Amino acid sequence: MKCESCNKKHATVHLTEIVGTTKKERHLCEECAQGINTQLAKVPSPTEILTSLINQVAPEINEMSKIVCPVCGLSYLEFRSNGRLGCPMDYTIFRKGLIPLLEKMHGSTQHVGKVPSKAGKELIKKNELMQLRNELNKAVEKEDYEKAAELRDRIYELSGDTNED
Amino acid sequence: MNFQATPMKISDLADNTGEWLRGTGAESDIVISSRIRLARNVARFPFLSRANIKQKRELEEIVRNKIKEAEITSDLRYINLADIDSVERLFLVERHLISREHAGGEGERGVAFGKSETVSLMVNEEDHLRIQVIRSGFELKEAWKTIDDVDNKLEKKLTYAYSSRFGYLTACPTNVGTGMRASVMLHLPALGMTHHIEKVFNAVMKLGLVVRGLYGEGTQVSGDLYQISNQFTLGKSEPEIIEIIESVIPRITSYERMARKALIAESREQLEDRIWRSYGMLKVARMISSEEIMHLLSQVRMGVNLGIINNIEMKTLNELFILTLPGHLQKLEGRELNSQQRNIIRAAYVRKRLEEI
Repeated sequence: MKCESCNKKHATVHLTEIVGTTKKERHLCEECAQGINTQLAKVPSPTEILTSLINQVAPEINEMSKIVCPVCGLSYLEFRSNGRLGCPMDYTIFRKGLIPLLEKMHGSTQHVGKVPSKAGKELIKKNELMQLRNELNKAVEKEDYEKAAELRDRIYELSGDTNED
Repeated sequence: MNFQATPMKISDLADNTGEWLRGTGAESDIVISSRIRLARNVARFPFLSRANIKQKRELEEIVRNKIKEAEITSDLRYINLADIDSVERLFLVERHLISREHAGGEGERGVAFGKSETVSLMVNEEDHLRIQVIRSGFELKEAWKTIDDVDNKLEKKLTYAYSSRFGYLTACPTNVGTGMRASVMLHLPALGMTHHIEKVFNAVMKLGLVVRGLYGEGTQVSGDLYQISNQFTLGKSEPEIIEIIESVIPRITSYERMARKALIAESREQLEDRIWRSYGMLKVARMISSEEIMHLLSQVRMGVNLGIINNIEMKTLNELFILTLPGHLQKLEGRELNSQQRNIIRAAYVRKRLEEI
């Protein structure tokens, strides 16, 4: 039997690991087994404990922890500790971490409200369409088909799309 | 008309209040006021927590000038908060013209407001600009119309930080999207007395709304005054958010009216006694603490609403809630006062106001 770690030497050490209720057997060569042993024997440092705790609560933090905004210099960890962002660009830089957070706070991650006229007519149309689609879904859920048909017509009108698909 | 050349004296305001305390508008027996604020930031600038002194100064200047250029109302005045003392800042907080955070902040920051105090614009608060509209009574829709208009005027002059995905970008992600917090201030003494207020809170929270005290986040409830506002700002449009709040308010006001009726039906004498005792206390006491006066005014206000007391105007009572606060008393006296001195002056001031009737 070959060592399952390096896949080169002969496996001479056979370990039985029990995680929860599942039993896992590992077959390793002496050299690889030693590496495992030192890992097992090592007492986790406070930082490691903290990291593992953070990973359990908010797994995105570990992944995001090294990210720093190049514009304002705020790190993701600083943001998580004081809750304030440093500049508008942070919404892009920390996007991955922010999305689950916004979902939790607002139950949504998509703006459907007011659009500054400077942001362009296209955007206004896009948002209006999105909102109409939301309303359409709600109308269908409530089985208010009359309203749904009306909304559907407005959506077609706005999007210039008359395809029934 | 002239935005900066005629600096306003804060003491000019001390003996009156903004129009939102008139006690007019829909359901004004229970709904004191309707308030909306919008959080806005200028594009290509850091948010204030990461801005250096130079950037803050630059931002203050830009936003102040753009407010002026936008010609929001003809009588808009601007106060630089760094130029006034802490009592005067407290005074502006008590009038709901600036927030506590804004008062306690640092560096270049200010506020613009007109004579009616309906619209106020905070510069360099948590966000570069916070626009606020307060109206008397249950008038959220009207408040939205006003604030939307002010925002449109400013938007022509300023480029806001905005993304199509996240909407108006704010320093705190709890405000992102619409940047809008809409709130309604309610006077609910009977629900408090009958211990039904918890039920209201639970129902309100299920709709994603929050209940706060008179001065917003983290403040204690006193004088049976509660503010109900939206928590979420993203994923719903401004009119949708307003509609959610608007749908819940009539249920709360009718619940309060029911509780008042029940109190009268079950123990009219006791209720009347409580109200008249509170009125008596206001007319004769020589020292009243700020906590006590809120309670007394609340009882008397309910007495007026129920027709038990007839000779006081709602406006007077609403105003007394604000005019007897520490900042106002100190401004009225023109000097700093300790708590005991304030209690004496507060009692004297209320006696005087009630004698005028």
